[in-house]
Amino acid sequence: MDNLNLSKHISGRFNAELEDVRNRVMAMGGLVEEQLTNALEVLQSGDEQLANKVIAHDRKVNTMEVTIDEECTRIIAKRQPAASDLRLVLAISKAVTDLERIGDSAERIARMAAEQDGKRHRGMLMAMDAMGRQTQRMLHDVLDAFARMDVEAAMRIHKEDSKIDDAYEGVVRQLMTFMMEDPRSIPSILDVLWAARSLERIGDRCQNICEYVIYYVKGKDIRHLDMNQVEDLLK
Amino acid sequence: MLSIDTGLLSTHNRDLSALTPEQTAFEIRELSLSYGDKPALNRISMKIPKHQVTAFIGPSGCGKSTLLRCLNRMNDLIDGCQIEGQILLDGDDIHDKRIDVAALRRNVGMVFQRPNPFPKSIYENVVYGLRLQGINDRRRLDEAVEKALKAAALWDEVKERLGDNAYSLSGGQQQRLVIARAIAIEPQVLLLDEPTSALDPISTLTIEELITELKQSFTVVIVTHNMQQAARVSDNTAFMYLGEMIEYSDTNTLFTTPAKKQTEDYITGRYG
Repeated sequence: MDNLNLSKHISGRFNAELEDVRNRVMAMGGLVEEQLTNALEVLQSGDEQLANKVIAHDRKVNTMEVTIDEECTRIIAKRQPAASDLRLVLAISKAVTDLERIGDSAERIARMAAEQDGKRHRGMLMAMDAMGRQTQRMLHDVLDAFARMDVEAAMRIHKEDSKIDDAYEGVVRQLMTFMMEDPRSIPSILDVLWAARSLERIGDRCQNICEYVIYYVKGKDIRHLDMNQVEDLLK
Repeated sequence: MLSIDTGLLSTHNRDLSALTPEQTAFEIRELSLSYGDKPALNRISMKIPKHQVTAFIGPSGCGKSTLLRCLNRMNDLIDGCQIEGQILLDGDDIHDKRIDVAALRRNVGMVFQRPNPFPKSIYENVVYGLRLQGINDRRRLDEAVEKALKAAALWDEVKERLGDNAYSLSGGQQQRLVIARAIAIEPQVLLLDEPTSALDPISTLTIEELITELKQSFTVVIVTHNMQQAARVSDNTAFMYLGEMIEYSDTNTLFTTPAKKQTEDYITGRYG
């Protein structure tokens, strides 16, 4: 935590407030990670009980987003943070939005997986397994990078997203084959397609969080730039 | 007239050392100052752009007021004060022997921390400088009073009682009156030394609003203890510490992504 230099403010209360909001966002990250893990588990097992747990816990994720954002608003109003403190508060406020959406994706996947009828589509769901594990790892790594505000890790993870995009295309091709083989299964395959799409979006949101890490540490906004431009900017 | 929206100066992170002579009000070169054997400023170099607000911030004793007072040679009045280096105003060295100091101070007006109106009427306060210049034509003075009070955002509040004693005004009104007095003689530069530190928050906001208006007509240099005020009103900010200029850049950059750790620690309220 000291690498963020949060404990050096003259105002001890301000230190405590920044520490607190940061701890909360990490707790939220932990919960969202758990949600995704469980959703992917439902994808494998079809465990309805676990799916219900994921659905129920999504409310918790939503509440955390609102609470953390409120805390960020209070800090801005009362402390008027500047420089790295301001960037931290903004990075957190943006990261919670992405985390909440990742939570929504996990919930959607769990709901879909539980609704698929038994073994008939299990094969299709398995096609998403590798992609799911990639996404899970990316989320884990990005939360780790966010906790340590590690720019190098963030840059590396940012590039990982293309692998998830490739995996997504693979899944789409596979699902199209299924659809052509058995047009009656199209409605349920579309559900699976949506779940795959959700996983792909989680990769994008992890990428956003990488951008906030870079923004916090370097003060540079790398959104909408290609990798060469980013490397130039960060030199 | 130059403003923040024109060409070169409009981007974030603009380079203040690249200002052309036409864009520069003051150019300070390697300025050092000591009071007796006590150094107060150490080799300060900077360019202060025209028609913008430039703020000096830093902890007490960092030299920001000393630097401000150098700009119209107020430090000349202090015994044992030694100055090295140059300050150019429109390219002319203000320490040159041929410079008329009284003329310099007319051209570079100053407003202090505590409002200091003269114990005279509101009207006489505003025209004081003009009368010193030998201007006594009633119509000309009337026009100057209206213009200066309007520019200082005070006209509507006092136009019915210009003959009242200046002391009958509130603190914030007195400070605006003092600003009106300073701008009545149409200086090129206004130096503001903690202009709102003795005022309540509403009067402070009125003065801040006024500062933003004033830069249309004047170059404004302000010293303030209130960092948020510097962030709100200035286009450029210089952070000083122990007589050194630590960092000088456009205000947006300085308050979001300062380059130096000392600046970062100061503006985020950390101890070094």
